[in-house]
This record gives sequence, C-alpha cells and structure tokens, in this order.
Amino acid sequence: MEALNALLSGLGQFMSPMGLFHVAWATLLGILVGSLPGLTATMGVALLTTLTYTLDRDSAILVLICMYVGAIYGGSRSAILLNIPGTPASAATSLDGFPLAQRGQAGYAMALATAGSAMGTLVGILLLVLLAPALAAIALDFGSFEFFWLAVFGIVISGQLTGGVSPLKGYMAGLLGLMVAMVGSEGIHAHVRFNLGFDQLNGGIGLIPAMVGAFGFAEVLTVMWRRKAELSTEELKEDRVLPRLSDLWRYKITIGRSGVIGTLVGIIPGVGEDIGAWASYAAAKRSSKEKDQFGKGSYEGLTAAETGNSAVVPGALIPALTLAVPGSAPAAVLIAALFIHGVRPGPMIMFEQPTFIYSIAAMLILATIAIAIYGLSLTRLFILVLRIPRELLMPVVFTLCVIGPYALTQRVFDIWVMVAFGLIGFVLRQMNYPMAPLVLGIILGDLLDKSLRRGLTLSNGSLEPFFTRPISLAFVVIIALSIVLSMPVTRRAVGKVIGTKRGPTEQPEGRKP
Amino acid sequence: MRFDTPAADRITAATLFALGAAMSWGGFVMDRLEIRQIHPASIPGLVPMILGAAMMLCAVLLALSTRGQTAPDASGVQGNWTDFGFAAAWSCVFALLLVGTLPFAAAAALYIFVFAGWFSWQPAEPQARNAKRMIFVAVFAVAVAVGVAALFRYGFLVRLP
Repeated sequence: MEALNALLSGLGQFMSPMGLFHVAWATLLGILVGSLPGLTATMGVALLTTLTYTLDRDSAILVLICMYVGAIYGGSRSAILLNIPGTPASAATSLDGFPLAQRGQAGYAMALATAGSAMGTLVGILLLVLLAPALAAIALDFGSFEFFWLAVFGIVISGQLTGGVSPLKGYMAGLLGLMVAMVGSEGIHAHVRFNLGFDQLNGGIGLIPAMVGAFGFAEVLTVMWRRKAELSTEELKEDRVLPRLSDLWRYKITIGRSGVIGTLVGIIPGVGEDIGAWASYAAAKRSSKEKDQFGKGSYEGLTAAETGNSAVVPGALIPALTLAVPGSAPAAVLIAALFIHGVRPGPMIMFEQPTFIYSIAAMLILATIAIAIYGLSLTRLFILVLRIPRELLMPVVFTLCVIGPYALTQRVFDIWVMVAFGLIGFVLRQMNYPMAPLVLGIILGDLLDKSLRRGLTLSNGSLEPFFTRPISLAFVVIIALSIVLSMPVTRRAVGKVIGTKRGPTEQPEGRKP
Repeated sequence: MRFDTPAADRITAATLFALGAAMSWGGFVMDRLEIRQIHPASIPGLVPMILGAAMMLCAVLLALSTRGQTAPDASGVQGNWTDFGFAAAWSCVFALLLVGTLPFAAAAALYIFVFAGWFSWQPAEPQARNAKRMIFVAVFAVAVAVGVAALFRYGFLVRLP
C-alpha cells in the first residue's frame, strides 16, 4: 500500500503542465531517434544528457527516461518498414515485422509493436517496483568483497552474452573498458595513474565523451560506411493501425512471459535490450503452436520481440538504481546523468531517497502512455521521418557529438576523447567486439579497483574472504560456471548432450549476427 | 577491406598483448607510496597489473583461436570505404582543427555544408539541379549551425569554443 501511495504521488508530481510537456517532447524525440537507423537509444540518452544540465533534477531524469523508452520503441519502425532495425534492440522485430509489411500489413505490424512495447514496459515497471526495494535491501549486506565480485560478474556476463559467437571478444572489450577506467586519479590514495603526461587525464576519461564517441561518432561512421537503405513505398498500403484486442488476448501468455524474460535480462548487468528481444523471441517460438509462421510474419513473434526489448528498460534500471551497476548501455548513461543531477544510485538509495524508485516507475508509466498515444496516432509521420537523407542527418548528429561533451566540462580535450573513442569504437565494431562490456568496464573499473584493494586491506592481504563469504562464494560459482560454459570445448560437449536429448531435427536458437 | 578476418584478429591480439604488458609493467613500477605508509595490499598499481595480465592471457587465447580459421568471403562486404574515408577525415578536421579555430557556429556551418554537399552532389545530374541542391544544403547548414550554437550559448549558457 505504501508503495502504491508513493507511485501515485510520483504520478501526481509529474502530471503538471510542464511535466506533461517534457513527457510529450522527450518521448517523441526518443521515437524519432530510435526510428532512424544509425541513431541508437544510448546515443540519444547520451546527447540529451548534455541538454539537461540546466533542468531541475526530476525534470532532467524524466526527460532522459522518456528518451530511453521512446528510442527503444522507435527502433521497431525502421525494422518493420526497412528491414533495418533502428536500434539493435529491434533486430528480432524485423524478422516478422518486415514480412508483415511486405504483405501490406505495415500499419498493423506497427500497432502490434506499439501494444507489445507498452505492455512489456508495464510488466517491467511492476517488477521494478517489486524487486528493486528487495534488491537494495540485499545489497546492504554487500561489502568490498561482494562488490568486487559484482563488478567481475557484470563484465563476465555482459561479455559472454553480447560477444555472440566469440565470448572472448566480449571479455576483452570489458577488460579494455576496465583498463580505460584505470587512467587518472585512483579512488583510495588519489594517486594519478597513466596520465601519459597530459594534465587533462588526471581526472580520468569522462564517461560521457567516451560514450558519445563510442555510440555517436562510431555510429555516424558506420551509417556513412553502409550502403543506403531504400524505403519501399509499395509496403505502405492502407491497413488497420489499431491492434485487435482478440490478438492481444490470444497472446497474453506470450506477452507475460516476454515481459518477465525481458525484465530479468535487463537486471543482468550490461546485457541490454537486444538480448531481451532475442531471448523472448526464442522462448515464444519454442512454445508456440504456430512455430512455422515465425520469421514469415508471425503476430506472436513480433509481439514477443517488442514486449521483450521494452521490458528490458525497467529491468535495466533495477541494478542501475540499487547497485549503481547498469543493466544496459543506455542505463549506464542514465547512471552518469543521475550523478550529474545529485542522485547517488546504490544500496543506500532506499534510505537516502526512499520514494525515488517509485518516481522512476511513475516516469516510466508516463513514457509508456506517451508511446502508446504516439504509436497509434502518428504512424504516417514516422514513415515520413524515415525519408530524411542520411547525408543531412549525420553531420547534425556529429555536430551535437562535438558540442555535447564539451558543454559538460567546457574542455576541448573532451572533444578529442570523443573522437578517439569514435574511431576506436568503429574499428572494434567492425571486428565484432561488443560495445556494451567496454562501457560497463569504464563504469565498473573504479568499483572493482577500490573494492579489491579495500577488501585486501580489511583482510590484511588474505584472499580467503573473497571466496568464503556466502554472497561472494555464490558470485564465484556463477562466474566460474559462466566462463567454463563459454569455452568452445564445453559448449561442444553440452551441445552434444542437449542435441542427443532433443533429437537430430531440432536446432538450438541462435542469435542473429 | 574487412576487419573480421583471422589476420586482423592476430594483429589485434598482438596489439592488445602489448597493451596488457605495458599496463602490467606500468602497474609494477608504479609508486607504492611507502612514504605514506599505506597497506601493501592497497598499492595503486595492483589492479592495473592484474588487468594487464588478464588482457595478455585473453590476447594469447584470441591468437590461438584463429588457428585453422579461413578468411570470410570478401564479396559479402556491405560498406563503402570512400564514403567512410571522407566522413571520418572531414569529421576529424572539424572536431580537431576547425572547432577552436573558427567561431563554433561558423565551423559547424562549414562542416555541415561540406559534409552534406559532398554526399548530395550527383555528377550524373544536370548542373542546375545540383546547384539548387547546394543552395538548399547551404541554407540548411547555416540554419542548423546557428540553431545549435544559439541553443547551447543562450539556452544552456555554455561558452562555446
């Protein structure tokens, strides 16, 4: 009851004209950003963070949450119409969305995507409200030993799940991020490390310039490198743009299951919306009565993918708020934004700001209502937006990439950092290194460094508590199992066992490259 | 040109091995702050040493994993390296040279005009149509540059470079 009161109070707080105005423009901007191939949710949140410095705390966070929810939803537009996911989160959406569009059902596909996204976010919000306070309470038992393993866990799991066929590259991206975090003044003795003679590096490498570079500039380069995508007008026939309630009712179990899977994937550090969508899609296909329709324009497949990726958003905020460990790349930027605006995420959040989690839930609800309204009423506008030529859009994006990080510290050095990360990010992407573990490494580097050295100081140099305390031991077992299971030899062995049990005809689900 | 080949992985492995070795060595020789009588387990170089060693291990595993792999078919490449080269070079010129040399609005207008103009120009089309397109691009560049500069200068009170 207390939680419900806090939630209603949060909703009331943002129902002012100015609050609703922020919801309206930020969600619309988010949908536009997400719908344009090349502009991702992370980039949108990172760039918008630089525009929220002068807003008050709650308005700034409201705007960023609306951008995040809108962008993840908006990715479905180009996935359905162009067969190019607007964001990586919508890759699974294109499998069934585009065939529907080819059959002249683009409008209905977008309506289903809207309903799926809205319901996925609502399931995620429910779990956020239920799980976040409990997780914060558990996290109060965390000491340096547990936080060290939490950081290692985040890097290992994120690297493994985002590395695709090569988890090793995921681990290496995470290690690279941790190494970047070693630059600058360390957190215990304030000793400056690896500044290479540049005084500007004494404070370390800024997260915002690094992320704007890795997700913004690298994305601009990738878009200009790719061949142009053409929007087929033949696919835009008039058809129904409101979802049928009978369809939604028929897929109620798929919606509920995808919402829970998406939220749980969101809770895992640094994994993100694309994995949430693929996992939900795979689960829906496995249990569907119309398996053969998946990939050919299945309503159920489309609904599962969109519900799954949208549910990751509230899920990713659970560890971000309670442990200060992001569940996804956009959530990593949100953590940076929270610090900028004076909110300290972590286990103490339920003591320092007990209603804050409910305020976040209220913001998510408003953003969900906004995507439902926009999604069902502005279908034609979003189709027009997809026609903006990349040669006009990309230089504007890069101009914002330059001025955004500069605006935070007013240092030209941060522009250089952004450019360096953009070029490195482009090359790493081309080589199939995932960006999410790299970003997570930059965020978790300080936590890992301080926790290990503090823990060793507390135990007088002994490693024993790192392996004997119950929560630490649980982390160690999970990490060891994850690494062992990601080894090619083990995967082959497990594959043989599972293959024998399933029979020769059933293929395990794979992730789209 | 592709970056996702075994040869590229071997080069990356060698580069990251060197980076890991450099970080480990840097951590090893880093000041241990004995003068401040800190606990020996909290020396600043400890974690860099571990991370460097872990990166070296991963680099070796990556190099080993490329054994017996063959390069993917180059015909499947989707990208255009000329477009990429121009976009990367001109963006770097803007960010590293023009910003700070010219007033931000002028630098941004020049950058957007040249970038959009380069990709909009169609040699096969009549000159008049290209000229019209360039006028549109110029107006667009000036409008966006002035708008962005004004937003940050007067909206967010940022002293522009």
